[in-house]
Formats: sequence, C-alpha cells, structure tokens
Amino acid sequence: MSQPNTPFRRYYLPFRGMFDPCPPIGPKVYVVPPNVLTGFQPPDYPQFPPLEALRKGTLWEPFFDYYESPYRK
Amino acid sequence: MEKQLPKEYYAKLEAIQAIDFVIYDLVLYLNTHPDDAQAIQQYNYYAAYSSRLKTDFEACYGPLRFGMPVQNHQEWEWAEAPWPWQV
Repeated sequence: MSQPNTPFRRYYLPFRGMFDPCPPIGPKVYVVPPNVLTGFQPPDYPQFPPLEALRKGTLWEPFFDYYESPYRK
Repeated sequence: MEKQLPKEYYAKLEAIQAIDFVIYDLVLYLNTHPDDAQAIQQYNYYAAYSSRLKTDFEACYGPLRFGMPVQNHQEWEWAEAPWPWQV
C-alpha cells in the first residue's frame, strides 16, 4: 500500500479464523483526524485562504488531512 | 427555461459561501479562545465583508437573506424561483 505513514494513519490486522473462506486482506488502515491528537489549539495556526478552506473543509492548515483510499489501486 | 442564471451568480454565491465558512470556523475558534484579539479583529473583517457581499448579491439577483430590505418595491420576489435547491 502506498499509504504514507503519517501520524494520522493506524493499522490493524483483522483476525482470521481457521475456517475463514475469504482470502486475507492484510493490514486494514483507519484514519485518526489531526484535531483529535493536537489537544488545545494554539492561537497562531496558519490558515487557508477562504475558497481553499471551503474546498478542504477546515480553515486551519494543520487540521487538514487529505484522504486517499489505501485500497483503491 | 425562460432564464438561465449567469455565471457571476454562481461565482458570487461561492464567494459568500466561502466567507461564511471562514466566519463559522472563526466563531468556533473564538468560543474556545475568547481572548484572542487578532482572531476577533479578523472575525470583524470577515463579518463586514460577508454582509457587503450579500448586499451586493441582493442588489443584483434579488433577496438572499430573510428579513432584509428589498430593492424591488413593485414585486415581491422572495417566493420566486430559483429556490436554493434549484440553483
């Protein structure tokens, strides 16, 4: 998977039983949003310009987290 | 269709939407950082800018905000098309 190992991605291995008919998927990825990890927001965060902030969904640059699906090739 | 919306209609609407988004984010930020003077000053700037944009939009395309004075004194346009979901 080309998923960069940013601090906001976590992996886990789904349990596979003895009689599991499906082929193994491998490690599954889930996203931990940046605002969860940063705690109280300092006053001097850089900002996006308005139109870009609208596209990206947040005004504060450190809170933006692009999401590319690790499963779609 | 009898009239098609001009391109600037969408451009102005998107600008209003972007500025209002910034205001929402600043309000949420200020709720938790009440003593951040710089953010308050920025909020005031964007709030004034947003009302200017909306007044300008209403001058061109008819009423946008509820309960605001209207330009067209002959005809009541609030219930006219396009409605928000038709835009």
